[in-house]
Amino acid sequence: MAELVKVTINGEVYEVEKGRLLIDVCREKGHAVPSFCYYADLALQASCRMCLVRIEKMPKLQTSCTVTVTDGMVVTTESEEIEKARRGMLEFLLANHPLDCPVCDRGGECELQELTFDWGNLEERFIEPKNYQPERYLSPMVANDPQRCILCKRCTRVCDEWMGEEAIEAGGRGVATIISAYGDWLNCSQCGNCIEVCPTGTLLDATYRHQARPWELVRTVSTCTFCSDGCQLALGARGEEVLRTVARDRYVNGINGEFLCVKGRFASHPFVNHEARLRTPMIRYRKGGKLVPATWDQAIEFVAQRLSAIKEEHGPQAIGIVGSPRLTNEANYTLLRFARDVIGTEHYTATDAFSLVPFFENMGAPLATHRDIRYAQTILLIGGEPEELQPLTGKQIRQAVRNGGARFILINSVPIRLKKNAAQFVHVRPGTEEAALLALADADSVEFAARKMGVETSEIEQVRRALSEAQGTVVIAFGELSPAAQKIVAQLPYIYADDRRRFLFHPLPLFNNSVGVHDMGLMSGAMTATEMLDAAGKGVRALYVAGSFLQQHLKGREEALSKLDLLVVQELFETATTEYADVVLPAASFAEVDGTFTNNAGQVQRVRQAIPPVHLSKPDWLIVASVAEAMGARFGIELSASAIFRDIAANVPAYQGLRYPLLKDESRPVQVKHEIAQRRDISGEIETLRATIAQADETAAKITETPPVGHELFKLGTLTEKLPQFHYLAAGNPKPENTLASSPLVQLTIDAALRRQRQEMALAGD
Amino acid sequence: MNPLPKEIEEEIQSFSPEVEAEIDRHIAKYPVKRSAILPIMFIVQRERGYLDAAGIAYIARRLDLTITDVWEVATFYTMINLKPVGKYHIQVCRTLSCQLLGAEKIVEHISKRLGIKPGETTPDGRFTLSWVECLGSCGTAPAMQIGFDYYENLTPERVDEILDSLKE
Amino acid sequence: MRIEAIGCEPLLLARFNLENSRSLETYRRHGGYEALRKALTTMSPDDVINEVKKSALRGRGGAGFPTGTKWSFVPKDSPKPKYVVCNADESEPGTFKDRYLMERDPHMLIEGMLIAAYALGARTAYCYTRGEYKYLIDIMDQAIEEARAAGLVGERILGTDFSCEVYTHTGAGAYICGEETALLNSLEGLRGHPRMKPPFPAVAGLYGCPTVVNNVETLCAVPWIIMHGGDAYRSLGTEKSGGTKLWSVSGHVKYPGVYELPMGYDDMEKFIMEDCGGIPNGRKLKAVIPGGSSVYIMRAEDIIGKDVRMDYEGLVAAGSMVGSGGFIVMDDTVDIFESTKNLIEFYKHESCGWCTPCREGTDWLVKAFKRIARGEGRPEDAQLLLDLCDNIEGKSFCPLGDAAAWPIQSAIKRFPEDFKRHLLPLAEQERVPAVA
Repeated sequence: MAELVKVTINGEVYEVEKGRLLIDVCREKGHAVPSFCYYADLALQASCRMCLVRIEKMPKLQTSCTVTVTDGMVVTTESEEIEKARRGMLEFLLANHPLDCPVCDRGGECELQELTFDWGNLEERFIEPKNYQPERYLSPMVANDPQRCILCKRCTRVCDEWMGEEAIEAGGRGVATIISAYGDWLNCSQCGNCIEVCPTGTLLDATYRHQARPWELVRTVSTCTFCSDGCQLALGARGEEVLRTVARDRYVNGINGEFLCVKGRFASHPFVNHEARLRTPMIRYRKGGKLVPATWDQAIEFVAQRLSAIKEEHGPQAIGIVGSPRLTNEANYTLLRFARDVIGTEHYTATDAFSLVPFFENMGAPLATHRDIRYAQTILLIGGEPEELQPLTGKQIRQAVRNGGARFILINSVPIRLKKNAAQFVHVRPGTEEAALLALADADSVEFAARKMGVETSEIEQVRRALSEAQGTVVIAFGELSPAAQKIVAQLPYIYADDRRRFLFHPLPLFNNSVGVHDMGLMSGAMTATEMLDAAGKGVRALYVAGSFLQQHLKGREEALSKLDLLVVQELFETATTEYADVVLPAASFAEVDGTFTNNAGQVQRVRQAIPPVHLSKPDWLIVASVAEAMGARFGIELSASAIFRDIAANVPAYQGLRYPLLKDESRPVQVKHEIAQRRDISGEIETLRATIAQADETAAKITETPPVGHELFKLGTLTEKLPQFHYLAAGNPKPENTLASSPLVQLTIDAALRRQRQEMALAGD
Repeated sequence: MNPLPKEIEEEIQSFSPEVEAEIDRHIAKYPVKRSAILPIMFIVQRERGYLDAAGIAYIARRLDLTITDVWEVATFYTMINLKPVGKYHIQVCRTLSCQLLGAEKIVEHISKRLGIKPGETTPDGRFTLSWVECLGSCGTAPAMQIGFDYYENLTPERVDEILDSLKE
Repeated sequence: MRIEAIGCEPLLLARFNLENSRSLETYRRHGGYEALRKALTTMSPDDVINEVKKSALRGRGGAGFPTGTKWSFVPKDSPKPKYVVCNADESEPGTFKDRYLMERDPHMLIEGMLIAAYALGARTAYCYTRGEYKYLIDIMDQAIEEARAAGLVGERILGTDFSCEVYTHTGAGAYICGEETALLNSLEGLRGHPRMKPPFPAVAGLYGCPTVVNNVETLCAVPWIIMHGGDAYRSLGTEKSGGTKLWSVSGHVKYPGVYELPMGYDDMEKFIMEDCGGIPNGRKLKAVIPGGSSVYIMRAEDIIGKDVRMDYEGLVAAGSMVGSGGFIVMDDTVDIFESTKNLIEFYKHESCGWCTPCREGTDWLVKAFKRIARGEGRPEDAQLLLDLCDNIEGKSFCPLGDAAAWPIQSAIKRFPEDFKRHLLPLAEQERVPAVA
């Protein structure tokens, strides 16, 4: 507990922690202090001068955003002098600011507008001509109206401090200062956080321009459906249409604050009401024939009969059930129960890129939340590329180093962008990241591993020393690892155990519910997704798939799906998997259902229905339950998302005791209680790893190029390709001839062949 | 992250060995490379007439910065020209002491003689005329700088002499 | 233009009229670098600081902070490198003294920087010179090379354990870089925005290390103080501010120039009307801005017959400030509205744009002045201008906001007639009912 000091604010005495910022203390104690440039956890700026207060014994008014409280400080936040100063500042800010809020996209949720209500003068004294600057686009995602800028520089600071990109900066000087980039075009990761934190209508969402007024939108707080970080966001819907996604902290206060990445911010909603959504159930009555629209009753009946017949003829193991790391826990759990209790098959799995089962079975320390990462003292990252695949994790690491002085150790074969924040970068040969784990777990393997990785033994010793000397929180984050390596990493806390440090894990799976689908048990079936495809037409006669197989599963097995007697697919869109489906059932997207996702920090967070299911689609769990019912089985629970979650809580130990009301507040996410494994013997895994690593090529060249921004983020997928602007990004985000007036999209026709080629490349790499 | 086309990015591979050595000497003065940005901007300006896109790309590469880093610094300082200027950049001081002693007359005279207003360049690219703020020549006002050379105690006649003496 | 000492022996100007005054040889022949030798061989760093404290030398850049005190703020035990930075970004309108110090006697400055570096434990000193003074940077570079060749700069100076590098650095056209923290940002290759204080540069300055930033004239006084002692220096001036001071004089005087006067020179009227030759062309004195453009403007009647003492306290008592010591003298042909408009345009141009009041306020003021100059003034504009100045003054991030407000506030209050002329006619027209 930090030292307490006595501070007097407007005559009232408070005891607060020494060293806290005065502005925070004032606000917390109910003394409103206006500000624009102050933004928690960003570099202090003190430029807007709105937060001026009077502090006794100081000659001038002071900016409360830069003063830390000391004992005996006497502060006044309300007086004639202060009011005049604030009104004066606001008058200055409005001088050159266009007063045409009705045509500004920010109108209605603009901080400048709000503070003007509080501190603006009735009469405008500025009768001079305003400085004019034309509206323009800074990228396909970012629209810019420089006239509205009050130069609070939140945008430049989030770009630098959160994203590490320094893409958007202030140029020029004095009143001609302008927020922009060289060439007036942003070639960045397009996260749009600059748009989010902008307190005025200067930086705006170009994909949502002039589409709605904020007060028309009904906001629903939900969880992002892309990566495993689980950012909280607010879907803004008008009627039955979702029009935008934001993380504005007045609407949502999740683990990510106002942070989102390009996918979460811009691609979360365009697919929801997209015209390509499947509209009705469809049945292919004859192999090679067409999918014919059917009613739900027909389709469910058809599926139930065929499944029953196949079960009858080939036994329950001939039926495979496939869930998805993109679906809710409720959907996946219903699928698991369908497999076990209704079909009676051991052949169930989910279409995740890799399994974390070996890690979770041997996990010797709890999972790290994103807050833990931000305040960690040491962070070890093995493999992975969070800035492209789990952007929030990337941001937290960056801030931990920058603002918290954390020691960040990076072990990777690719010099990823986070390298510049690393205190130590162990640059290994391609594919030898696991050798580092071997060397960390086994002192005798250091030399061998170093040789294989192409690094000095001293580099490894330095990492070992960092782990054995670390104090405070140590976060171990890792990307995809082999089962043996997963077990070893999971047991590292026992190897380096000490009272002075606390280990936490941060696995980096790829999907929004990768951890949840593991927790639901779907990843522990008798077959993996690829094994199931390999057994198609042999041991496996029918597949029931919610979602679709990934390209990596289907690659080289394109024919597998056609060998099945029955393929049932629940999907949003037609995909490579639905091409062979005998029955396609339209599923409701995350915006249309209630449920939960579990993120890579083990936090189970709510998905909430923003609009009713589009067309005839239904929630995945409801479709499965309907099929079960048609097969004569009942789950014995009320059919609702919350009831299924209660069922999960009753049967999955880590989720014990949880209920939706406990998950209500997104600002206090609940971490599920994954069991901490005892110390295990890992000598077998060490041998396994030694054997694999022994085969690594000691002459392989290292990868020296830092991959370009967006090489993963901008890949077109089933969801992201529904946003036209994403095609623009995937095509390299060229600067259009004219950035003024109209959207870059209408100016540049991207070659269709090029787009297809990019798309194929993108999917191939998925 | 640099959005420049490759051909501009790679236009300046390096300057002459002497200039490169000069740049190295500047970089060597500081514990942090970025500190040398202004001296190097002047060198690039000297070599190329102004700080063009290729020059910005060169500086970014030389100092391990993004081009936007270079841009934000370049646009802050009035002596860094991001647009071409004439061979002779005539900068007349407009601040108080010079104004009191007739700076406006000097500019009027130059304007008339060269046919350009402040902020403009003669069509042949020889002269650019600019108003600038205090040059530190208040005691010898009115004053101007052509390039880096000071000309003080100006009268219209003296201005004519100076302009006449400039080489083609 | 005249450069001379009045009322005292030339101290800073001592070698100005010598042949080849900027060469090392001339400098050494006239006692140059003996102060450095004395400091390095007979004094501890603390002795040097104490001597400077005793001298009552105050910063000559404009703020007038006691130099010795500033030096003593540098933490002795800091493991970080320490830096001495000479502020040669002389940009305050009406000020041109540093230019001639560097032009005529660069070694005096180098010696001052070296002594400061020794006192503070710095191994590197930078001289940040405004970009327009390119020729002075060349002169300084040459002088540094000469000194290096003579073992006065670099490793083991004068054979002692003390090593120090001296480098020049160029600005590129930004008045704000004369503010010490903006200067440090600029020296680090960043935009020249001022930094938040605290931390002060003495604790966290250049590259986050302890740094002392001193004006050229301040550092030039240091060798003399070390040679002759702090007490001797102090006795040249007043109790609170010792030594001599350079005053730059420009505008409507017969002999503009750089004058060295003892601190507390006893009459400003005599200085302008006699020492500087008075007002030319038979005109009368109207106004004087005595400390560079940022200080309050003074009326002739506040000077004539008022025995204004020329030091920090004397000028404050007379309603202005010493500032950088830049006298801008104006005769009775000058419209103070116009001269004020000229200055506010300067401040708008030089505002860095960081904080709201300075950025938007100066823009607004310029627009208002231009409108009034077009003949569209209104009586309420006087109050508007004063109110805008009040909203800038004391509320900006750095002193540039104050510097922009003070000239206007003082001009309106002290020369109301000049403003009325521009504001009233329209109002009078309005009072006359329009004839159909």
